[in-house]
Amino acid sequence: MKCRICNREALEKYCELHEKAYRNIVQKYDSWKRAMDVSWKEYLNEIAKNPYTGSWAKEVAEQLLKNEDR
Amino acid sequence: MEKYTLIITEKPDAAQRIAQALDSKGKPKKVEENGVPYFLAHRNRKLVVVPALGHLYTVAHERGRRNYYPVFNFKWVPRHLAERGAKQIRTWIETISKLANDAEDFIAACDYDIEGSLIGYCILKYGCENKEGVAKRMKFSTLTKSELEKAYDGPLSQLDFALIEAGKTRHEVDWLYGVNLSRALTSAARRWSGKYATLSTGRVQGPTLKFLIGRERVIRSFVPTPYWEIRAEVEIKKSTYEVEYERKRIEKRAEAEAVVKACTDKTGEIKKVDMREFHQKPPTPFDIGALQTEAYSLFRYTPRRTMGIAQRLYLDALISYPRTSSQKLPPVINYKNILKALSKEPAYKKLASKLLEKEELKPREGVKEDPAHPAVYPTGNLPERTLSDPEKNVWDLVVKRFMAVFGETAIKQGVKVSLEVNGHNFFLRGRQVLKEGWMQFYKPYVKAEEVLLPPIKEGETVRFKRVICDDKFTNPPPRYNPSSLLKKMDEYGIGTKATRADIIGTLYNRRYITEERIVVTDLGFDIIDILSNYAPRVISVKLTRELEKKMEQIQSNSEKRENILLEAVQQLKPQLEQLKEKEEPIGEVLSKAIKRVRMQERIIGNCPNCGTGKLMILYSRKTRKRFIGCTNYFKGICSTSFPLPQKGTAKPMGKNCGSCGWPLVRVQIKGRRPWRLCFNPDCPLKEERKKRNEMQNLQPGSPRKIL
Repeated sequence: MKCRICNREALEKYCELHEKAYRNIVQKYDSWKRAMDVSWKEYLNEIAKNPYTGSWAKEVAEQLLKNEDR
Repeated sequence: MEKYTLIITEKPDAAQRIAQALDSKGKPKKVEENGVPYFLAHRNRKLVVVPALGHLYTVAHERGRRNYYPVFNFKWVPRHLAERGAKQIRTWIETISKLANDAEDFIAACDYDIEGSLIGYCILKYGCENKEGVAKRMKFSTLTKSELEKAYDGPLSQLDFALIEAGKTRHEVDWLYGVNLSRALTSAARRWSGKYATLSTGRVQGPTLKFLIGRERVIRSFVPTPYWEIRAEVEIKKSTYEVEYERKRIEKRAEAEAVVKACTDKTGEIKKVDMREFHQKPPTPFDIGALQTEAYSLFRYTPRRTMGIAQRLYLDALISYPRTSSQKLPPVINYKNILKALSKEPAYKKLASKLLEKEELKPREGVKEDPAHPAVYPTGNLPERTLSDPEKNVWDLVVKRFMAVFGETAIKQGVKVSLEVNGHNFFLRGRQVLKEGWMQFYKPYVKAEEVLLPPIKEGETVRFKRVICDDKFTNPPPRYNPSSLLKKMDEYGIGTKATRADIIGTLYNRRYITEERIVVTDLGFDIIDILSNYAPRVISVKLTRELEKKMEQIQSNSEKRENILLEAVQQLKPQLEQLKEKEEPIGEVLSKAIKRVRMQERIIGNCPNCGTGKLMILYSRKTRKRFIGCTNYFKGICSTSFPLPQKGTAKPMGKNCGSCGWPLVRVQIKGRRPWRLCFNPDCPLKEERKKRNEMQNLQPGSPRKIL
């Protein structure tokens, strides 16, 4: 199976590198929700444009947003 | 023919200085043979001082093909036989051998450390027909006349064989790791793609890159979380001060907004004024790592650059030997004499005189020791030539640090004023230097940022003029820079003080890392991925450190070279077998990564026309000429293209034009100065230049007009 973002070898949806970023995104949503009461989509939008977000996390957020739009 | 003593030094500059110091008239005769300089001096007897050029001998494969691995049989050979571009080494060795024929005594006067001892030993053994057993050793930490005379008059009766054995082992182990692993990677990529690319890793390179990868992974998968910081402007005795809220971070927006609402435009009360005095001891003397770190933070010089500058200052006898890990300054260096000599320089006169007034000069020292050399210190000599700005900076830094370590403890006062408003607490902080102590000697490298507060009493009221809530986000850990990476390597005990800076340089040269705030490239990731999967032991920080410790033990005769070499081979063998077995998949991964890196290096920026493509340096399929085009060019979507000069190299600069904001390209033609090229045909700068040229051409007498 290939990673949906970078085509590296993947166990499920993502390769090892993007999987770590995905898990970080899921884990940090609670903090964002508590802090600002944002929806999942708003949260993804926020982190996708945040300058401190790491490049892999950004790629995952953008990919998740595309899926949300479909 | 008159017999003489042959003195071997590490570098030509050192040879000149040693000859000058030892010649009874201070004027040795310089002779040059086949481009190799040496010096004739007289001091009781004739002396011939001949320099090496760093290492003249190196470890090489005993026999066999060039790109074959594994290879475990090696020998020491002249460098020109093992390395391309080292042709002059042949004449160098021939000259030294010729001079050795008529020499009666031999003295090794290379730098007193592992590398210096090994350089001297190899020349004496291989270049002077086994004179290593009869040669004496000069030991010195500075190239000043007095110390060199002392070292010559009382040399060590034999070479420092423990240090030499440690040096030999280090070179041999590094060769075993470097050659085998690098060949494994290079040949895997070559077999897959048919193209050659230099790939390397080594005993220290691998674990260092692994550090960087660990940090890079955290940064790239980092997700920030929001928080809020509250500060307020308060009015005290008609002046405005900024105060900070009792909680540094507030995790909920609603909560932060409530605090702002509750405090804005309210009157608060001063609840407590807390004054505290604290003492700051002088800094410790510079070891090479601390000097490199300080020079980076003050002047942004990379560790490699600082090492080069310090080496030049050492060869000019301005500072002591810089490759030291000591933080000690023994009294034998004679603090007073150094300060007296420094006071001849107007810039240091006042400070040095102040220290000389002290009854006793006692430096503050650190814990680190180096058996061979003290910490870095100024010799007291003043420059005999005009120093370049970077040299001036580093010399001044060493001088001022030396003076600062003799200074007294600085005393500072911190004031913390607690204010309460509507049930919320804020703090106002002030700080002041009560006694400068050592800080006066270390200016401008230490700054006392003072915040002076007016006299404040408990119970007084203050008006909260403005309460500000700042939106903040948690930050990823900082990227390493060459200086912090060097510190990390030192902390983990991998590499040596002399090699760490070069290893970082190699990681850049191999394109595993880029930029000053280090970013690991895809190629760097893939190298470590491959090594983690197929040869995990060679990038293990723990194993590297253990091997490093064992090599250090050779210096104290508590470990043997043979054991370490055997251990290295035993560790490497199974790892190399694995790499060979998986050569095909490794080659595929590496070839693709190299291709990606090369593509990345040609990308200039986003396409200003189509918005989806990227501008990069492309090559025409018909003419093979290069130009700047959009990545969508060959797909037929976007035809944006710009011409490029066909001669020389063209590389994206990573900077934008100051006038039009378009990305810049750096063009360099051999033998000419590189220039920045803005390829925007409508760039206002070009228009201006055009007009200026036209004006010039119109002026009477201008060269073009005449033509």
